[in-house]
Amino acid sequence: MTGTLPGVAPMAVPPAAYLVVGTLLFAIGLAGALLKRNALSIFLSIELMMNAVNLLFLTYARMRGDMAGQMIVFFVIAIAAAEASVGLAIFVALFRARRTVDVDKIALLKW
Amino acid sequence: MPALSGDLVVFTIASLLAIGFALAMVVQKAPVRSVLSLVVTFFGLAIFSIQLAAPFVAVLQVFVYAGAILVLFLFVIMLLNLGQEAAEEDRRPLQKWLGLVAALALGGVLSGAALRAPTPKGMRPPAVVPLADEIPTIGRLLFSDYLLAFEALSFLLLVAAVGALLLSKRRFE
Amino acid sequence: MSPTLSAALEGAGKIAFVWGVVLAAMLPNLIWMERRVAGLIQDRPGPNRVGPFGLLQAFADVLKMFMKEDVVPLYADRVLHTLAPFILLVPSLTTFAVIPFGSKVPLFGREIPLVIADVNIGILYVFALASVGVYGLVLAGWASNNKFALMGGIRSSAQVISYELSMGLAAIATLMAAGSLRLVRVVEYQAGGTFLGFLPRWNCLTQPLGCVIFIVAAFAETNRVPFDLPEAEAELVAGYHTEYSGFRFGAFFMAEYLNLVASSMMMATLYFGGWSLPFLPSSGLLGGLLSIAVFFAKTMFFVFLFMWVRWTLPRFRFDQLMDLGWKALLPLSLLNLLWTGALILLKVI
Repeated sequence: MTGTLPGVAPMAVPPAAYLVVGTLLFAIGLAGALLKRNALSIFLSIELMMNAVNLLFLTYARMRGDMAGQMIVFFVIAIAAAEASVGLAIFVALFRARRTVDVDKIALLKW
Repeated sequence: MPALSGDLVVFTIASLLAIGFALAMVVQKAPVRSVLSLVVTFFGLAIFSIQLAAPFVAVLQVFVYAGAILVLFLFVIMLLNLGQEAAEEDRRPLQKWLGLVAALALGGVLSGAALRAPTPKGMRPPAVVPLADEIPTIGRLLFSDYLLAFEALSFLLLVAAVGALLLSKRRFE
Repeated sequence: MSPTLSAALEGAGKIAFVWGVVLAAMLPNLIWMERRVAGLIQDRPGPNRVGPFGLLQAFADVLKMFMKEDVVPLYADRVLHTLAPFILLVPSLTTFAVIPFGSKVPLFGREIPLVIADVNIGILYVFALASVGVYGLVLAGWASNNKFALMGGIRSSAQVISYELSMGLAAIATLMAAGSLRLVRVVEYQAGGTFLGFLPRWNCLTQPLGCVIFIVAAFAETNRVPFDLPEAEAELVAGYHTEYSGFRFGAFFMAEYLNLVASSMMMATLYFGGWSLPFLPSSGLLGGLLSIAVFFAKTMFFVFLFMWVRWTLPRFRFDQLMDLGWKALLPLSLLNLLWTGALILLKVI
């Protein structure tokens, strides 16, 4: 678990630190997604989780000297843009139908 | 203990910023303030990206994520006038505690796994070494190795734009 | 002297120089200039009481702003209301970091490149900051708890993000020509070649459509007439800064002028050759100083252009504005990309 590659300066900050911060942010995002009731806040927490994973990808890309990690992050950011626009459109339509975005109140499929 | 260097100081500040404002985002009741806390978190993540020799990704995170996607969130919040979240009667405190414990447990498990994972061997050799001339490399890779994904992505963005338009049209009946 | 220390001193010196020139020398004169140019175009004297030719008018304005009472509306979100002007101000102040304001100056035994931060993401930094500045506009409108301010804020941010696209696409064509994202390289490219044999290789000559698109989009980005509906006095009281007075209104004002200067610098850098003039030397101490003078002269010309247009053209209606941005400028900027690509392939530029 080193950050050294031949011919390249080693990482000044140990990669384990980035991994810990990334997983911590992921856990915080997960807590937000589980605990919030506003649909938009849940969506924001999901975005945080995606960005935490981006951080992990970048750390591994730097450790292995592989550009694939950065390419994945590039695609994830673009896909998040597409997903956010469609998701928010869904929330707007939902709000127009039910006048609320509280996920506890949007419970038509429950028994 | 790694030696004190400018990089370490910047990393510490950025991680305090990112984690602090992520917690603020989860704790805030008003959605507008959640969005703004997330913006600051993204700035912290952008600082990490620069340290990890990915300045292009860093500026993409600020430009696209913080500067466009979260602005879209803000617009929708204002459109739906979600200024004051409805008074949260804690009808199910047990569920809140269970959720918190689950998130912490998952975070712990993931951290442990990430720290203990061995450096993978036997995988295919890395594409290109970053840290020098990274942007032309990204450009070249997008149009060679990742061309299919790139074209599929542009199609996906088109579909998303059309879909968002259709979903949010008012139906006048 | 250790390399870190000398690099830090160099950076600090350049920041002090750029902020000194822009904040201390240009900003007060811009305020004065705006009102005198307005007077010139409208056939009236303009301010001429405070100091010779009214030159101290800016200081009178700033003094007035400091003295005014700072009001926060009753049910407004206090934190956001206080924060919004500074969210707008900080990107405006830091945009100057990547713009090259001169060629090179040999001082202290080294050639000092006259750009504060020559990052390899150059122009993307400027666009990223512009997109973060949108938050200041939106939050100012939202946090004021005032329908007019909210309308102004939303319109303003919708306008900014619409024209960001065309501006970025037009700028990409210049990056294609120069082959790099770094603004230093863009200026060197324009300084170092000829187009059609005798003209300098300035992007305004090789991509005239892109130049026009960028200038129009820059007008929209800085909320200047003819795109100033969000802050129009007759339409929306004062748009997103209705509920602001005193120092924070001054901060909005300052941010607007800083954006103006930054946009003029970007226009000069991307399309009009930056610090270079065809027959002027650009090396050595004299060349370096001349290049700084040339750059600021070009910037002042574009600032004057902004002001000239402000008092000449009527303003757009909001739907006309959005039509122009999406239905006209966006396809035209794609066309400009094709044009530039063709020129590059045919080795004309």
